[in-house]
Amino acid sequence: MIIDINFIGLIIASIMASAVPLILASCGELITERSGVLNLGVEGMMIIGAISGFALMTVTGSLIIAVFGAMLAGVLISTIFAFLTQTLITNHVATGLALTIFGIGISAMIGKNFVGIPGKEFPVLFEGLKDTIPLFGPILFGHSIVFYFAFALPFITSYFLKKTKIGLIVRAVGDSPESASNQGINVRLVRYACILYGGAMSGLAGAYLSMIYTPQWIENMTGGRGWIALALVVFSTWNPIKILIGAMIFGGLTIIQFHMQAIGVRIPVQFLTALPYIVTIIVLVVISRDSRKIRLSTPSSLGKSFHKDN
Amino acid sequence: MNTNLKILNVTKIYPGCVANDNVSLEFNSGKIYALLGENGAGKSTLVKILSGVIIPDEGNIYLNENNLKLNSPLDAKKNDIGMVFQHFNLFETLSVFENLIIDSDDERESLREKIDTIMKKYNFSIDLDIPVLNLSAGQKQKVEIIRCLIRSPKVLIMDEPTSVLTEQETSELFLSLKKFSEEGILIIYITHKLKEVMQLCDEVAVMRRGKLVSVSEINNENIESLANKMVGQNLKTIKKKKTKTSSDQLIKITNLNFTSEDPFETNLMDINFSVNRGECLGIAGISGNGQSELFQVLSGEIISKKNSIEFNKNYIGDLNPQERREYLMAFSPEDRLEQAAIPQMKIFENVALNNFKSSNFFNNGLINENKIKEHSKKIISDFNVNTDNIELKSQFLSGGNLQKLIIGRELITSPDLLICFNPTWGLDVGAINYIHETLIKINEQNKSIILISTDTDELLKLSDKISVIHKGKLSKIMNSEEVTSEKLGILMGGAN
Repeated sequence: MIIDINFIGLIIASIMASAVPLILASCGELITERSGVLNLGVEGMMIIGAISGFALMTVTGSLIIAVFGAMLAGVLISTIFAFLTQTLITNHVATGLALTIFGIGISAMIGKNFVGIPGKEFPVLFEGLKDTIPLFGPILFGHSIVFYFAFALPFITSYFLKKTKIGLIVRAVGDSPESASNQGINVRLVRYACILYGGAMSGLAGAYLSMIYTPQWIENMTGGRGWIALALVVFSTWNPIKILIGAMIFGGLTIIQFHMQAIGVRIPVQFLTALPYIVTIIVLVVISRDSRKIRLSTPSSLGKSFHKDN
Repeated sequence: MNTNLKILNVTKIYPGCVANDNVSLEFNSGKIYALLGENGAGKSTLVKILSGVIIPDEGNIYLNENNLKLNSPLDAKKNDIGMVFQHFNLFETLSVFENLIIDSDDERESLREKIDTIMKKYNFSIDLDIPVLNLSAGQKQKVEIIRCLIRSPKVLIMDEPTSVLTEQETSELFLSLKKFSEEGILIIYITHKLKEVMQLCDEVAVMRRGKLVSVSEINNENIESLANKMVGQNLKTIKKKKTKTSSDQLIKITNLNFTSEDPFETNLMDINFSVNRGECLGIAGISGNGQSELFQVLSGEIISKKNSIEFNKNYIGDLNPQERREYLMAFSPEDRLEQAAIPQMKIFENVALNNFKSSNFFNNGLINENKIKEHSKKIISDFNVNTDNIELKSQFLSGGNLQKLIIGRELITSPDLLICFNPTWGLDVGAINYIHETLIKINEQNKSIILISTDTDELLKLSDKISVIHKGKLSKIMNSEEVTSEKLGILMGGAN
């Protein structure tokens, strides 16, 4: 059997495309968690982004409005979370779970009118260059702007956290909100910003799903990707580059198991479907074994409410 | 350039407690001021007001005649007031340099130069690029001091700075502080340690229960006069009658090792010692040198080889704390509210916790509340716990009362051996005295104590034998009469 080298390129590109929403949502949640806030509402924010993006695209016809509208929707719903956890000091876990349930419910309600409507085509960049280089052509070229942004994001995030002053402040707040507050840093403001940023990225991830990856609205279309994004953050030990690796493994296995099912490999379907989840976590656990590094990158105050007493 | 800092009629009230009651004080640069008081006297509240962390209900603060509005720590920084907190305000997972640059307006390069100049000038040596959690307590404190010095402060406040330092580190700190003072920085030094006040300060203000009790020149005071002002009554001094102890061996530790999987715990290496009946073995050391691991190994929180611990002629190394209690061991851990008691549970419920099997607290799995309450009342009256409400949640007991309750709970089963870890940490003088008396009484009843403590004075007062733990290794065991606190300090620093 001769396999076209460009076909392999196409498979790799499809793997990367399926990793995009995970990378976006994980990198957003990573910033949120690095500031010490555990937002379990990623799935909910993602699906709100998905329906908002799709609805705005259908109603306004503008892709730009749709993409930014989806991010704004993510920001708005995460504002609820921020208000509850930071201003009213509610429990992070319970609030995040409520947010997910809320998001799934409200997206299904809004989405009723949009079921079965075909999506629009999203413009891709460098389409003409696809055939110029064998193998790498299809991998590198002919993708949406969101795709390129997603693959740049882990590096930007890493640079932001390590090299910029604001990144330093985010890490400091996550390490010890008490110390940060005593140093005159406005802990609540920093955490609000990080939560809203996480919301924007989850919204964008959702929009990518409903506008670019599979351009249509299906109820519950995020299908647990928000939870995987959360797991990636933890199992990558809050390291953006490892998130990229994890998302690629997860995306890759998801695509490959589809192909295996198609070929008719005699392994139970349920096992194949579960495979990406299991393998991703095992790989990330194995590459993140260094307990010293875990200690250094785990936000010590993660999930703990900070209340400034006066 | 003279700095004058005035506190005028400052009051801060918390629900159920007046932390600062109309306090007025004046400080001038060139002198080192001590702010002396017991825990809860209101010193920390006062300096937190000065550093903008707490906003007072009433009162004003003037720096060189300017009325300061200190609504946040930033305001204090802007007005050149620097503070080194008792509990370090550092970010453990960030590097030293990151910790310093975070609140600085300088560029990286110029800040590095500034820090280098400061470190050279005061003879500090700290690697700027390692995470803070790898530093010793003394080094962490230096980082905090550097952080203040970067801003060339007019006022430097030190809140209980020596509680985590060795003798040597303390004298280094004092040298630095004197140097700062000569350079015109106004130093306010908060402490409850009288010796330090006499050693370092020029003037002393004493606080008690939120009120300012006295302000005086250090030359007019001595340790006794300050102690009496601080406590508000004449203190009796406790002394242990050192008697010949028996040679009847109670516990023997042989070649005990512990290797932790957590890189931030200390490994214990080849621990060997024995304690006779009626004897108190003190284990000194700077915190973080394996004390908490040693405590856990001795108490059974960490299980070791069966024959590494011999107690009363039984090998018990592989038993858990509950089983060890049945052999008449008792434990008082360091962290009263996290390890020894459960803060949200009532006093009598906490009393029942260490006594699942051998008591009649439980019938067929049901709680016998009356028995437990009876028992709790006995502890409260026998051990002078200052409450009559056994339904009170433990978190509302003061540190001293909680410690008495815990020691009482352990002792009422009349154990042969009590293992305690920093039993008087953070307590006021009255409670410390009571605990010390109780511990001495235990020895007089021919029962034994292993006292792990970071307070050398306490160890010298109570121990018959002393050993020093450093990086998980025990020094040889010495008779306490042969030991001085200087000698302990040297051993604690790791020298032989």
